[in-house]
Amino acid sequence: MSKKNQKPYMNPYLGGVLLGLVLVIAFWVSGRGLGSSGAVKSAVVAGVETIAPSHAENAAFYKQYKETHPQPLKSWLVFEMLGVVVGGFLSGALAGRLKFKVEKSPKITNKTRIVFAVIGGILFGFGSQLGRGCTSGSALTGMAVLSVGGFVSMAAIFGTAFMLAYFARKLWI
Amino acid sequence: MGPLIVNEIISENTNLFLAFLIGIGFGFVLESNGFSSSRRLAGMFYGYDTTVLKVFFTAAIVGAIGLLFMSLFGWIDLSYIYINPTYLWSSIGGGVVMGAGFILGGYCPGTSVCAASIGKLDALAFIGGIFIGVFLFTEGYPLLEGFYKAKYLGSPLLNEVFNLSRGMLIFLIILAALAMFWVGEWAEKRFAHEDYKINQK
Amino acid sequence: MKPRLILAYVLIPLGLIIAAVPENTTKPYKLTADELLEEVKSGTQFISPDEVAAMVISKDPSLQLIDVRSAAEFEKFSLPNTINIPLVDILNPEWEDYIHQDVKLNVFYSNSSNNANQAWMITRQLGYENNYVLQGGLNFWVKTIMNPKEPSELSPNEEIAKYNFRKGAGMALGGADVSTQPGASAPVKKPVITKRKKKKKVQGGC
Repeated sequence: MSKKNQKPYMNPYLGGVLLGLVLVIAFWVSGRGLGSSGAVKSAVVAGVETIAPSHAENAAFYKQYKETHPQPLKSWLVFEMLGVVVGGFLSGALAGRLKFKVEKSPKITNKTRIVFAVIGGILFGFGSQLGRGCTSGSALTGMAVLSVGGFVSMAAIFGTAFMLAYFARKLWI
Repeated sequence: MGPLIVNEIISENTNLFLAFLIGIGFGFVLESNGFSSSRRLAGMFYGYDTTVLKVFFTAAIVGAIGLLFMSLFGWIDLSYIYINPTYLWSSIGGGVVMGAGFILGGYCPGTSVCAASIGKLDALAFIGGIFIGVFLFTEGYPLLEGFYKAKYLGSPLLNEVFNLSRGMLIFLIILAALAMFWVGEWAEKRFAHEDYKINQK
Repeated sequence: MKPRLILAYVLIPLGLIIAAVPENTTKPYKLTADELLEEVKSGTQFISPDEVAAMVISKDPSLQLIDVRSAAEFEKFSLPNTINIPLVDILNPEWEDYIHQDVKLNVFYSNSSNNANQAWMITRQLGYENNYVLQGGLNFWVKTIMNPKEPSELSPNEEIAKYNFRKGAGMALGGADVSTQPGASAPVKKPVITKRKKKKKVQGGC
């Protein structure tokens, strides 16, 4: 890695146990697991409602969403994701990893990396809504409750990524 | 006793506050494990760094065991735990699209937020992409609704499919996961890359 | 030692334990023994035959009589519009919607009030509300409503009114013509149905 004085990461097994405990606490407190993409959905819905209220009242998705979530931004996942920002920042600060940078394979330019990051984000955002949850909400949480959907999501996400890995290898190695 | 919110031991607002604290724990653990590094995450698919596999499966197993033990001790009522519904086609379709996004973007939504919090600019771009992607979905929803709701299976559990008890299934998953971890550690040596060093305890 | 091995040494025994123990499917009790004892002492679960009779005659839609005797006994004799949930069957999930609800006023009855009271104790301990016990059971019901004892001439007016009501009620329930207006003099102290707080449905997913 580029910086020599950077502290090593936690052992992944210890990290997994800790992440599992956070998950169990979430279940115990709120009866639900972790998630992330739902927070973005809340923000998008809130944004559309503010910018184009008439559109939000007519389009099918916003109407359905509004019925179950009267205040989109006052949702569990939005608060949880705010916590993630704080938690990630704290950990990065303690380990001396706070730095503005673009992480990429040495073979590609920063611009290429950013373009692919945006494309990846679009696909992930779209897919997470179609699949009712991302890696945290559907795959991780779903697997912890042994839901069939969780295992299906996990297999589809990681299976596809493995299959496409060869074509995207320049981005990473 | 648990879940606290269902049994009205805590209020709705306390629940949101605790969500914030849980999020801090979530973000902290993700970052400490290097989930804020896209090359580390992507390493999973080339074998040079299989942290994702280890953390992900260990967490799922600990979560599953934790739930069953808490239920055993009477601390939590499993019937109130949210089980995500299974819509087979959209689950697979969404997963395929997400997989493509993962390998191109190098993050998933949770990890991108975590990475952005320590200043990764590519993660910021990824988050921008998520917003666009979600917006495309919400706008295109009328076209997708049929596919989105197709093949609804209710909220089945995997152990019911195999006709096992939950504990038995978890035990089998533990064995499978330990085998995968072994393969992962082997792969990390086999596919090691000269300009990428795994820096962990 | 390798972290992977440490993990294996921790997870495998835990996995074995969880695979070996049966799943906890018991429902947690919502009332502690002390709380239940308080309710038993105060006896608020009892509802008198007069009150029930008045509700039956006025066809009060909120009343639901539940016979906790065996199906055979139920076949032989039962009160009108009664459903039969034998005591041994009370925890059958099939009946949960009937005994765990906030719309109707359930009255358990058996021959005496013993079995009905046991049914009430079980449901109450699970935190269910709106379940009551017919005081004295069917035996007392027959004695008071079907064959009321005529009060002496010197009895206070309330006693006589009560007798008239019971006689009317008994005739009404026995199928005979009713000459008196039972509804008017019926005791109207009716237990209030407490709305069960809907369990918050947990929302989840992304």
